[in-house]
Amino acid sequence: MATTSTAGHASIGLEKTTTTAAVAGPLGALPGELKYVQYEHSLESAYLPAIRALISKDLSEPYSIYVYRYFLYQWGHLCFMALHPEDSSLVGVIICKLEPHASHSPPTLRGYIAMLAVSAAYRGHGVATALVKKAIDAMAQRNADEIVLETEETNVPAMRLYERLGFLRSKKLHRYYLNGNSAYRLVLLLKRIDPDAAADFALDDGDITPR
Amino acid sequence: MMAQGEFGVSNDPEINNPNRFSEQPPPPPMVASEGIIATDITSKFTAATGALKPGELVKDAFFTLFEAVGALEIMDPKMDSGCLAPGESLDEDYDVTRPLQPAQVVGIIDQLLCLEMAWHLGYPLSQTLLTNVYIEAMLMPAPTNLREADFIRNHAEGARPDPMFTVLRAYCLGLLKSCWYVTERIKREHYYEEEDFVTNTYHRSLLDNIDRNEISNEIMAARKIIHQMRHALTDKMAWALDFRLGLRTAFLRTIELSELRSNPDSLSLPWHHMQGVWEQIHNSRQLGTPVPEAFSPKIQRKLASTMPPRPIVQLSFEETSDHFRKLIKDGIEVHEVFKYSDPQSLLNFVLTFQAQKPQPLVYIRTLLQFYLFRDMVILDNLSIRKIIDDDLAIVSMPKHRLLDPVNDVVEAPHDARFAMAHQMELFRQRATQSYLDIFRAFCQNRCRVRRTLCHSIQDWETVQMDAEELDQLLQIQLDEKPINFETGSEGVSSPEAAYSLPLSSWAYLYKLRLMEWIVQLGFELETYQPIEMAGMYWYLAYLAKIRTSHLGRIRSFITHRSNELEPKSSTTRARPSPSGPSFSSSGSPSSSNGGRSDTTASFSSEPQFVRSFAYHRVSTLEAAVTWELADGLSALYTALYRLRLIVPPPRPYSSDSLRYDIRMKPFAPIGLPELPSFETFTEQVTRPRKSIGNLLEIAREAIAGAKMGFEALSKYNENEAFAVGCLGRWTEGAKNGIKSAIAAGLAVAAVKNGIAAAAATAPDEEEEDLDLGNFLQVEVPKPEKAYHKWWIVPKVHVGEKKKT
Repeated sequence: MATTSTAGHASIGLEKTTTTAAVAGPLGALPGELKYVQYEHSLESAYLPAIRALISKDLSEPYSIYVYRYFLYQWGHLCFMALHPEDSSLVGVIICKLEPHASHSPPTLRGYIAMLAVSAAYRGHGVATALVKKAIDAMAQRNADEIVLETEETNVPAMRLYERLGFLRSKKLHRYYLNGNSAYRLVLLLKRIDPDAAADFALDDGDITPR
Repeated sequence: MMAQGEFGVSNDPEINNPNRFSEQPPPPPMVASEGIIATDITSKFTAATGALKPGELVKDAFFTLFEAVGALEIMDPKMDSGCLAPGESLDEDYDVTRPLQPAQVVGIIDQLLCLEMAWHLGYPLSQTLLTNVYIEAMLMPAPTNLREADFIRNHAEGARPDPMFTVLRAYCLGLLKSCWYVTERIKREHYYEEEDFVTNTYHRSLLDNIDRNEISNEIMAARKIIHQMRHALTDKMAWALDFRLGLRTAFLRTIELSELRSNPDSLSLPWHHMQGVWEQIHNSRQLGTPVPEAFSPKIQRKLASTMPPRPIVQLSFEETSDHFRKLIKDGIEVHEVFKYSDPQSLLNFVLTFQAQKPQPLVYIRTLLQFYLFRDMVILDNLSIRKIIDDDLAIVSMPKHRLLDPVNDVVEAPHDARFAMAHQMELFRQRATQSYLDIFRAFCQNRCRVRRTLCHSIQDWETVQMDAEELDQLLQIQLDEKPINFETGSEGVSSPEAAYSLPLSSWAYLYKLRLMEWIVQLGFELETYQPIEMAGMYWYLAYLAKIRTSHLGRIRSFITHRSNELEPKSSTTRARPSPSGPSFSSSGSPSSSNGGRSDTTASFSSEPQFVRSFAYHRVSTLEAAVTWELADGLSALYTALYRLRLIVPPPRPYSSDSLRYDIRMKPFAPIGLPELPSFETFTEQVTRPRKSIGNLLEIAREAIAGAKMGFEALSKYNENEAFAVGCLGRWTEGAKNGIKSAIAAGLAVAAVKNGIAAAAATAPDEEEEDLDLGNFLQVEVPKPEKAYHKWWIVPKVHVGEKKKT
């Protein structure tokens, strides 16, 4: 009678918002205006190791290189980097995907914020917010109907960040992460729901992770 | 390199270098196995990957995110389960034959208790019990009989094993066997794998082929040995060991009895025993000496799992103790469910049992499911038909011809009763699963309860529609005449001729309750932001108001039928009204205890009618207090928004209307009651025509009414409350309702005072323009800090803002 949780094994709950101090008070001055750059494949050798290092920092289970390739190869245009103005080193990064959500009829075009990280030294200056905005803009431009993500229930700064932009908590996911913490699913609706599709929409359990 | 073979990888030396620990690639490993010829393909592979551009991904269409996440990188210590740090050994070098002091045995057992509890909480065996070297030695290689189930397999012939080994072995036997039973119980009921519990045993057998009685005998024998050595051990130490073994005996006994499912009093006896034993274990915890080296995360490498070793989940003994106490308390209380009285009490039992904070552990929750549903026989002796007919009789059909068992034996097809029996059977077939699913849903974790109910309401929508069709067929068979009744709470006196529709009325009532629970669980699970409170409490009030009026409709028809059955009494004298509170004609709730519009109604002394009216009394009052407190809180929150004491975030990427769509998504498909349009919702929540003073007065009045209602509810006995077997928890809910209402009343008064104080300093300002920030601060508490997790009452602090 077991029901495998559709929300996915905690280890494939991908969202990791390491914005723990992203909206907290300033910790130090920013080194001038950061550069925001859209990722492209030619930047891989220069930045992928730093991206991995930044995101893995707070993960107990690091993602394999294939997880990064999975996203960056298909949706590099939805990845944005914040770079240091002087040495162009990586300060923050956001990684997303955008694809039709299969269990809908008609399907919605659903954006998903998979990873967001800001280097500890630069938190508290709105870097994470700026990155999320860039990602939302890019997905909206590509006709996304909605944008979703999960965040750990204990990650209050991340939730505040997203909620300030307009996301709502749609549901709580019990013990979603391997560490036993629960998550919230956050949703930003960019377009009205087609009323005729409402029934399917409500039935959707919003599973991000593929079967 | 990875589990799947669909990839080429880019030629980036930094990332793809699998040899993070050394500059030079190590020599290829010597693979020596029969039938395998090893070939070094490093150079070919490197050359091939060099042909790819950076970032290029070679994959087939079936390579999804799931595979990407599942892929492992060899030589990454966090992914590669065989990756060893320099100088690290693969195996644990702990010797299980080393002598153990009694204090060390206590220490090991206490650590096992902590790990067992972590496992109950949802962590996998790999990070809990299977990190113990004794358990590993006992289970590997898999023992085929009791004798082999030992961490020392080759005892010298005829030698008497060390008594401490005997004790520890007996403990582990009892522990593992009970883990097997717990896993089997959970697997057979509805639960969510990896969310509630991990059933994976990593190909380790938890002694499933070894007889429970044999194990119990081993524990008995070990306890006897302790008894014999008690002088050598000291009494204290002997008792410490004995209690720990006694816990295993008692737990196995609870499992044995639970399978019988009958005789509830004896079922809870071993749980009571465990309760006493646990306190003794708790008190003797200082006697143990920890043996941390007997636990190692490295053992995970031997398990059938691709996961690299993860840290051992380490609960403190105090946390463990709290959880065990709760487990045992719930284990005792769950058996009260056998004191069945009626389906509404049963529902209240499940609702209040599962609403506890913290919620009972998954094992207890599945035990409850087992007791409720095994073999589709409720609580071992009640047919599902009996339950559902009983429920119909209470809610909408006391002493109804449709529920007369005689109908079933009518064989003449032209007899109306033949058709009734047939249609009722169709109805039961249609409704039973949905009805039982409510009980099942509430046995899940709280997040899942809410998610499940969001789906169930659509199911109930169709149950209601199907039931209405049957109602219409049946009213012909019953030759029912429509009656005029006043649509009570709407306040508009427009009597209209209507049929009773008892089956669909029953279904509609459940649908409404489900919808309210979804909203209430939203508060409990902290799904709503402070800025959403006014809207969500308004919607809750809206639903509860509709339920109140729907209950009134059902009651009118019951009253009518009861009058028909006793025509004399109905015309000659007025009887006390069986109803709950009344509602003033303005449409706003008030809990004046006056009579209803049909105070002249009589009710039959027939027990089924008495019971049904009692149900309507408590249900109507409960719906009314929900309506009132929700309405009061909504008005209070709206006032706080207008006073800018709760300020909305900027939310540049969304609009109120899009957020309404998301928030109300579960309710959008429901036709009855229809989701209010966004415009109606906004108008109703913001109440633009009411001044802040009006809003606070509305809030005060509604909250005061709710308080009176909760006070009345808190005094109900178990029969009045339909809370047989769970009155304590039920009353506690009502009392927390009183506290919530008192707190809400205080908040309203504080806001009024703040406004008065601010107005005194700025007499010319309109209320809306007052700067209250210097006089009042508002905090929206977390649900666990509220008196009741469904009633998030804002805390209004009077005084200057603290300068930070």
